[in-house]
Amino acid sequence: MLNFILRRLLWMVLTLWVVFTATFFLVRVVPGGPYTAERKMEPEIEAAFKAKYRLDLPVWQQYGLQLRDTVRGDLGRSMKIDTSVNRIVRDGLPVSAALGSLALGLAFVLGITAGIISAVRRGSFADVALMSLATIGITLPSFVVAGICILVFVFWLPILPAGGWGSFQQLILPACCLGAPYAADIARITRTGLLDVLGQDHIRTARAKGLAPATVILKHAMPTALLPVVSFLGPAVAGILTGSPVIEQVFAIPGLGWHFVQSALTKDYTMSMGLVLMYTALLYTMNLLVDLSYSVLDPRVEWN
Amino acid sequence: MPIRTLLPLVMLLAAAGAIFAIVRTGQLPPADFVFNNESDIKSIDPAVVTGQPEGRIVDSLYEGLVRMDPKERRPMPGVAKSWDISPDGKTYTFHLRDDARWSNGRPVVADDFVYSMQRFLSPQTASQYAYQGWYMVGARKYSRGAAGLKVGDAVEVELFTRPAKARPLARGELLTGKLTAIEVDDVPEEVANNAEEYTQHRTFVVEIAGESRRFRIGADVPADSKAEPCKALLFDFREVGMKAVDDHTIETVLENPTPFWPELLGFYPLMPVCRECVESHADWTLPEHIVGNGPYALEFWRRRDRIRLRKNPHYWDRENVALEVIDALAVESIFTAFNLYETHQCDWTTKVPPTVTRELLKADPPRTDLNPASQFGTYYYLVNTTRKPLSDVRVRRALALALNRAEVIAAACAGESASRSLVPKGLANYDPPECVDTDAAAAAKLLAEAGYPSGEGFPKLEILYNSEAGHQLIAEIIRKQWERALGINVSTRNEEWASCLNSQQNLDYDVSRKSWIGDYLDPNTFLDMFVTGGTNNNTGWSNAEYDKLIEDAKVEVDKEKRLVMLHRAEEIIMAELPIIPIYTYVSRNIVRPHVRGFYNNLRDEHPLWALSIER
Repeated sequence: MLNFILRRLLWMVLTLWVVFTATFFLVRVVPGGPYTAERKMEPEIEAAFKAKYRLDLPVWQQYGLQLRDTVRGDLGRSMKIDTSVNRIVRDGLPVSAALGSLALGLAFVLGITAGIISAVRRGSFADVALMSLATIGITLPSFVVAGICILVFVFWLPILPAGGWGSFQQLILPACCLGAPYAADIARITRTGLLDVLGQDHIRTARAKGLAPATVILKHAMPTALLPVVSFLGPAVAGILTGSPVIEQVFAIPGLGWHFVQSALTKDYTMSMGLVLMYTALLYTMNLLVDLSYSVLDPRVEWN
Repeated sequence: MPIRTLLPLVMLLAAAGAIFAIVRTGQLPPADFVFNNESDIKSIDPAVVTGQPEGRIVDSLYEGLVRMDPKERRPMPGVAKSWDISPDGKTYTFHLRDDARWSNGRPVVADDFVYSMQRFLSPQTASQYAYQGWYMVGARKYSRGAAGLKVGDAVEVELFTRPAKARPLARGELLTGKLTAIEVDDVPEEVANNAEEYTQHRTFVVEIAGESRRFRIGADVPADSKAEPCKALLFDFREVGMKAVDDHTIETVLENPTPFWPELLGFYPLMPVCRECVESHADWTLPEHIVGNGPYALEFWRRRDRIRLRKNPHYWDRENVALEVIDALAVESIFTAFNLYETHQCDWTTKVPPTVTRELLKADPPRTDLNPASQFGTYYYLVNTTRKPLSDVRVRRALALALNRAEVIAAACAGESASRSLVPKGLANYDPPECVDTDAAAAAKLLAEAGYPSGEGFPKLEILYNSEAGHQLIAEIIRKQWERALGINVSTRNEEWASCLNSQQNLDYDVSRKSWIGDYLDPNTFLDMFVTGGTNNNTGWSNAEYDKLIEDAKVEVDKEKRLVMLHRAEEIIMAELPIIPIYTYVSRNIVRPHVRGFYNNLRDEHPLWALSIER
């Protein structure tokens, strides 16, 4: 197992390097630069700006210096915001992660419950209703869901705040809107997985032995049925923890999501690279955790 | 307990713990006044910020020589209690008040302003607004660094070594002398003259205290150059037109009489910073370090959430600052900001969306809290005068005649007013000349005169705009108007913002959308853009008489005559039409009726120190 983890970590380093290189050149290929402004900078000022962010050096030299800093754990200074990228991540990630965890918890509980009901009562009204709801949940973009939620829970029944950060009430709407599509996905995957498992021999055996239906499903069927859900969760967790630009925008959440969009639009080279690298590392870690959890859920999986 | 049940349980607990932690740290005592500041500001260092949201905070944390009055935006005493102007209009002497204090208790003195100006202009600061200081003698030269120097100039050499008692981030040891020679390395000429590598191939010979010394900029000095390394080699700042005569007197010397100079000194980039604070901490803008001299002090800054300001007890005019605690929210979505206002989570939001504005203006009973007001900004189309047939002024005039502003405004705006001039209306002593009004018949006739009767033979015309729904709608309306009135073939193209700017700067377009918000309340801020080769001209248009008028106006001492010259210049540009004005921007602030001291003005600036609440 240690061997497996080490090998994966090695791959992660390699992937990070490839991502670093690709992003480094991609952001520079896009027309314009961090010094592009509606009010064109005077040539003298542009030169000073470039010197400040090493943009006056030959590209390979910029690449080398930035790679060195990144390896040391320094993502550099944002070219648009007067602070370090590390600090922006440190401030924003916990907020996005807290909201994401709540959304994910919600999605997990709702999704699994709906999936089990649908699978067990296959073809019933409950199944059709839940799965239709899930399809709607997946297809509706989050800004539509958020808009409807705000209209209903903020203006028609004024029970929740319109946005902001700092209290539990302010978390409810964004968490629901953020979690909804994930809940829908999880419900569908659970249902498919469970239906698959329910038809298998060991379930029939368990039933034949006279075990209670709940025990059969929760103890014998679910662990196997959950495997696809876990695979889905890996990337989903990475995505949800780094924040959603749309939800954060609509509910004024001070998370990390909007920085992804903003840094790309404003050509903030250091910031976009830092965020992409952080996301890659997180995604890789989550996938590793998923692989590790397979062995916990399914004893047949071996380390290879 | 089996690990299968343990694992999800641990995960759930961890999530619950994280959420609990966030909720616990999130609770805040309420502020007296909450407003939405549009975005998380980029910095609170006056020298580097550029946006209006940044300006609102900087304006509260610092105070310049002058303040702008909240109603008319005219300069009023700030740290300077009064100022005198020399008869030639070039020398301003400011008399500082005795009771101005930094928030660490130290008095604000003339040297603070000189230090701040040096820092603001220095190329090492890379201030984007540095050009606002270039009206002073020698300032532009100072900003250009070594690249702007000529043999014979007085220079200052900043060494890597620091004086013994200097603060950790202070400048290195300074030597001053005269530049006696610039030696170029033995490299091909195009390498030596490459602007970005200019200093890398040069040795500067400076005479210091009768001794000739050789310097190279940067730590790496080639062995054969026999030079010493230096951090920077700049024009001697003592030659720049800002001097501390004594602790409470500052003299600024300008290149030309610049009637709007006091107004610029009240503009946030030129605010002073506290030297001991800046030189002691790398992150001096953090709440625990920052020292200001303005009406408010920074209590905390929760990124992307809010900035909390608290009244500064050291501020000299504290008796006239009404609000104790102010929250500046960083809500980026203008719709969310409006929702917050409607649900009483904030008292003022700066930009009500146009769609919402249209609804609110129709509301019954009428809303008293939303009053769109004209701003000092113009939305216009650039015309590429280097392309045929747009190089023909008759064609440009035909396009202007065929453009129906009323139709554009009815469909795509909310409160904006049509504009037929480059300089927006509303200046007290300047009534801008206007271009031709809508007249489809005259347009068609003029186009026929130019050789395109009913648009025959007219090449396809393309309108370029940066991707945004509002611009798209306007471009489509104008496309139809031109096609209808002139019989020509028009298409539209959108580009992402930076690409669009690129295309404009490279003159890679036919007609393109552009806007400009004035830097100061004077026609010059709009008109000097369009001199031949101006950095923001972007039309290829050039007119010798226009250039001369703008140049002469700069040195004209008589204010009346100067405005007459600028008026004449605008007449030229409005007759030649390298740009077609469309509308004047409006501000759309929505403010609770019980807020006092809030005035609509051309600059759309509403200083926080002037606000109060009357319930």
